[in-house]
Amino acid sequence: MAAARPRLSAGREISGGRAMEAAGGEQRELLIQRLRAAVHYTTGCLCQDVAEDKGVLFSKQTVAAISEITFRQCENFARDLEMFARHAKRSTITSEDVKLLARRSNSLLKYITQKSDELASSNMEQKEKKKKKSSAAKGRKTEENETPVTESEDSNMA
Amino acid sequence: MEEREGGFRKETVERLLRLHFRDGRTRVNGDALLLMAELLKVFVREAAARAARQAQAEDLEKVDIEHVEKVLPQLLLDF
Repeated sequence: MAAARPRLSAGREISGGRAMEAAGGEQRELLIQRLRAAVHYTTGCLCQDVAEDKGVLFSKQTVAAISEITFRQCENFARDLEMFARHAKRSTITSEDVKLLARRSNSLLKYITQKSDELASSNMEQKEKKKKKSSAAKGRKTEENETPVTESEDSNMA
Repeated sequence: MEEREGGFRKETVERLLRLHFRDGRTRVNGDALLLMAELLKVFVREAAARAARQAQAEDLEKVDIEHVEKVLPQLLLDF
């Protein structure tokens, strides 16, 4: 995956260095094209949903416009998220940063907070499952272990 | 997370964000990526729905660029 690096222009450059810089720029351009296309595809799908819900038709230019707006808005989102994390002295962006991003509209904030809580609780469930599995595998006596043991002893149980 | 027809892939969202980071060390955690995917989905659906409502308010069935233009300012203020 191409990491986004700011292009530094030194005072003196060897022609070889310049060629590499140009190649890096090309790679970035290619990445941008692919991302634009991916955003456009998903935008198309979502617009299709809305079209069906509302009983309207979206012109191709409309879908393209929404896709472009979304793509550009990602730049603002990315920069903001990075700043939020840095402000909290972190280098990893977390859900807290995303919630902060959604602060402008109450209903949006509520929605994102809800999703975040859902994610957090499903993460907790996953952790619980892993804990139980690993302790069962180690053969320690846990609550869950008693159930399989009784089942095997009772051969009458289907 | 609900599985619907549309939705941004985690990988796409990660690359989209990384494209604009200024610091090479900045990362995004899994949950934040999923939330951002949701946020972007809401953004697109809002844009589409508001434009559709604008077209319908003008008694039209086809949503065109002018309708997007009309709803764009408020949309950007809300996000």
